[in-house]
Amino acid sequence: MSAKRIRIIALVTVSSLFLLAWAFPIFWSVLNSFKTDKDVLAYPPKLIFSPTLDAYRDVLFGSSSILPNLMSSIVISVGTTIITMVLAVPAAYALARLRFPGKKFAGFYVLATQMLPPVGIIIPYFLVLRNIGWIDTYQGIILIYLSFSLPFAIWLLVSYFEDIPFEMEEAAYLDGASRWRTLWRIIIPQVQGGISVTVVFVFLNAWNEFLFAVVLSGNTVRPVTVAMFNFISVEQTLWAKLAAVSVLAMLPVVVLGVIAQKHIVKGLTVGAVKGGGRR
Amino acid sequence: MDAAAGTDPATGIAPSDFSRVLAQRERRFAAALLAPAFAALLVTTTFPLIFLVWTSTFRMDLAMPFTNGFVGFENYRILLTDQRFWSSLVTSLVYTGSTVALQVAIGLALALLVMDMKRGQGWFRLIAILPVVLSPAVVGMIWRTFMLAPDFGIVDFLAINAGLGSKNWLGDPLLALISVIVIHTWQWTPFAFMVLLASLASLPEDIYEAARLDRASAWQRFRRITLPLLRPAIVMVVIMRTMVALTAFAAIFTVTSGGPGTATEILNLYAYRKSFTELSIGYGAALAVALLVVTILISAILFALRRAK
Repeated sequence: MSAKRIRIIALVTVSSLFLLAWAFPIFWSVLNSFKTDKDVLAYPPKLIFSPTLDAYRDVLFGSSSILPNLMSSIVISVGTTIITMVLAVPAAYALARLRFPGKKFAGFYVLATQMLPPVGIIIPYFLVLRNIGWIDTYQGIILIYLSFSLPFAIWLLVSYFEDIPFEMEEAAYLDGASRWRTLWRIIIPQVQGGISVTVVFVFLNAWNEFLFAVVLSGNTVRPVTVAMFNFISVEQTLWAKLAAVSVLAMLPVVVLGVIAQKHIVKGLTVGAVKGGGRR
Repeated sequence: MDAAAGTDPATGIAPSDFSRVLAQRERRFAAALLAPAFAALLVTTTFPLIFLVWTSTFRMDLAMPFTNGFVGFENYRILLTDQRFWSSLVTSLVYTGSTVALQVAIGLALALLVMDMKRGQGWFRLIAILPVVLSPAVVGMIWRTFMLAPDFGIVDFLAINAGLGSKNWLGDPLLALISVIVIHTWQWTPFAFMVLLASLASLPEDIYEAARLDRASAWQRFRRITLPLLRPAIVMVVIMRTMVALTAFAAIFTVTSGGPGTATEILNLYAYRKSFTELSIGYGAALAVALLVVTILISAILFALRRAK
């Protein structure tokens, strides 16, 4: 065998091992979610077994259904996404396109807010929300989610607004269109793609958040990332159900991630080129 | 020529005035667009920061409210002599340093490998997305149970088959720390990989051609061409991942809650536990301020390094 051949085989082996390492824990959880507890606990671990949907039936429609928690996750994520976009799109346009004094500082401020550790935000937040009775409410959680979703969305959108040619706006102004009308009718349609990508990432981050949720959630509002703990305790772990819940929590973000595949690097590194960065 | 000639007949405004009016309108428009978002940012980030610093000057114990009151810098004085604070800071630095180094080293090596592949790159790009889009809480849960549980957990199963015997992965202090480091590295190496692969793909081809003509070895090409060209991307990854690792929470919380004892308690987790488990919020706030100071110091150092060359 030639040296080159050996090198190729080594290369393929090493890289396949890494592929396996990344895919396996997810694959294994999916597999476990179709097992009975007995099969999950089998030693040696079982690859071949008779699949069942029992775990899904129990966690969705059983006595400790997580449907309300999935609903909580959806309301929180959708609510955060809508409010974030309504606030971020105009701000990003101004930062990307308009001339005004203090523009540099405004951009820096948006980045600097991301330096604040989440635990430093949740402590004062908890005290205030407790006083006004907003613990365990959607408005409480969605408000605090703006602290990370808004700077992220603004910076991601700025990068898309910067890509539009100036001529578009100039032509509109020459036609006598007002600034608001130009923004709404000419510019926004141009960045539709960027807006969709931003929506995907804001939703994804809100869906995945844990620290704020674990402090602020209660019996009424409890997203699925927190509700997972119902299935694991010191006394016993409901293995198959835990796997099923994990898969249900993973499903939306994996689908969104694969859809937004081409934009993921940009979505993950936005703002970093100019300064900060987060999670 | 008199002034009236340059005046706009419709409005009676001279051109210089006209552009000033335009600029003023642009400013007003910008202010209107920015105001709502900046109001929200003030309320959700800046006010909490001020309130956090204020809280850190109080003794605020939810379990013993009768002892509460203004204490000035007392919390910070306690902090400086708090063994648990210093050990959590060391744990933070170990956790951050090792996870970031591993992510960059493995991510870069893999990006170089995959870059050379003629087929199958698509698989890597697809699979690499999976870990990074998952919630760290779910990732922690999966690892804690299906990967690290004794006997049937896959890692333990492999350890037994490799002749190492069953280990208490999350019960032994050192193994627990290694476990949370591995979990974080597992989830975020694909991030480094994707970013570095993207920047590798954008490097100019002709430099490599020239190097090959000059008979530069593969190592020389890597050392003299690839590494310097990738430097900005690597530094960016290091900065981003450092900030994240310093404030990592969900994956450690779900796996070990900072235990056993305080073996995996990074500063971020200590601030959380002090505030919300031990309900000593004033001191927890001081710890959070300390974390902010550490974050700012480390990012200042990293940004200085970025500018250095």
